[in-house]
Amino acid sequence: MASPAQIHRVGRYTDPFFHLLWLITGGMIAALIIGTGWGKTLLSTTVRVTPDQPYTCPPIELRSNAIGAFRADVEAIVPTNRWLTYELQLKDAQGQVILSALKQAWAESGTWSEEGESGSWAENDLLAGLDVRAGKTEPVTLTLAVLDYSDTSGQELEQPVSFTITVTEGAVDTRYLWAGLVGTTLLGLLASFSFGKSGRLVIQRRTPDSEVGGRAILGGAKNLVRVYLYIKADRSAPPNLTVQLSITDSNGTEIYNNHHTVNLQQQKSDGKVTSARGQLCKFFELAPRDSYKFYAIVSPANSIDNTKIQVREKSRTLWPVEVTTIQASL
Amino acid sequence: MITKIFVAIAIAIAAFTLTAGFGQQAAVVLRQEQQTQYWPRRGTQLSGVYQGNRWVPSSVRSSYSNFRGGGPASGK
Repeated sequence: MASPAQIHRVGRYTDPFFHLLWLITGGMIAALIIGTGWGKTLLSTTVRVTPDQPYTCPPIELRSNAIGAFRADVEAIVPTNRWLTYELQLKDAQGQVILSALKQAWAESGTWSEEGESGSWAENDLLAGLDVRAGKTEPVTLTLAVLDYSDTSGQELEQPVSFTITVTEGAVDTRYLWAGLVGTTLLGLLASFSFGKSGRLVIQRRTPDSEVGGRAILGGAKNLVRVYLYIKADRSAPPNLTVQLSITDSNGTEIYNNHHTVNLQQQKSDGKVTSARGQLCKFFELAPRDSYKFYAIVSPANSIDNTKIQVREKSRTLWPVEVTTIQASL
Repeated sequence: MITKIFVAIAIAIAAFTLTAGFGQQAAVVLRQEQQTQYWPRRGTQLSGVYQGNRWVPSSVRSSYSNFRGGGPASGK
């Protein structure tokens, strides 16, 4: 005779590496927050620059820092339908250009009409950004020059252009941190979804009926057995089904027999219910290792299209789960 | 088992992105001829190269219609 089944909440089968994985993702979020706030603003100003008169900012100390870099962020403020090429230059204490970078900026707008609908659009790309690292600390000046300014028809303009200039030291490149956060989050999600399929699949059977079962050698000490039952029903199915799940040992002795309620989720197409699906997941510790038969009967039977059973052993879980422990005596 | 591999990959990703982000690997390094790691921000392209310690403006700047012969450094 089998001893009575005992139900415990068991955390032994959780995987600490899974939690470590999400801890790393959390670390990336913290790094992103720290990295965003790391830099120190040295200069923030709005200036007007004419095409033939470059603007030179006051001298700034370009420090050699282990973390972050010297960052110049510039935004051109122009009316719509303008093309603009501007250049950022760094000069050393002697006035020699030691670095220059170009931005081809534009702002355009227009109207569209398609299939009787119409509207307007406006797009622009006016921001420039330059990050610089130096081997030694030195004073530099930042110069901003407009090389070319025209409207979209190509007509040259001699008007001044406004720019906002922000200079930061110790700026962190958050593009890498975002990439790291996306990468580690994807790994975490992938791991989360893989847990249902962890372990070794020992029984998999599907029948176009309301009853399904299978037998396999499984169990033993410290071996988590995960039973999945997938039910597909037609649209006449009630919202709840009853599943009678039984386990029989190699002698034919029934060691477990219990009824479970499964909620069905309706599948809709064009607002009409086409079918319904439900699933049941149960965890067992079965000892000793032996041949066990799992059998599920779903009722009411008339609305069931098919049922599928999957049994996995050496399964792992995300969190502590309810486990039914059965000691069969042979 | 697979989570151990995932953790190893995640640590590698975190180590690389933290080093590159906080260490500013994509920034321009002053007076260094090779700028292989430069990753432009906001479409801002370098308009010159280093030859030795000297910054040599690139000829691409002369293609602008109202190019003023060396830009602001040389005046007009």
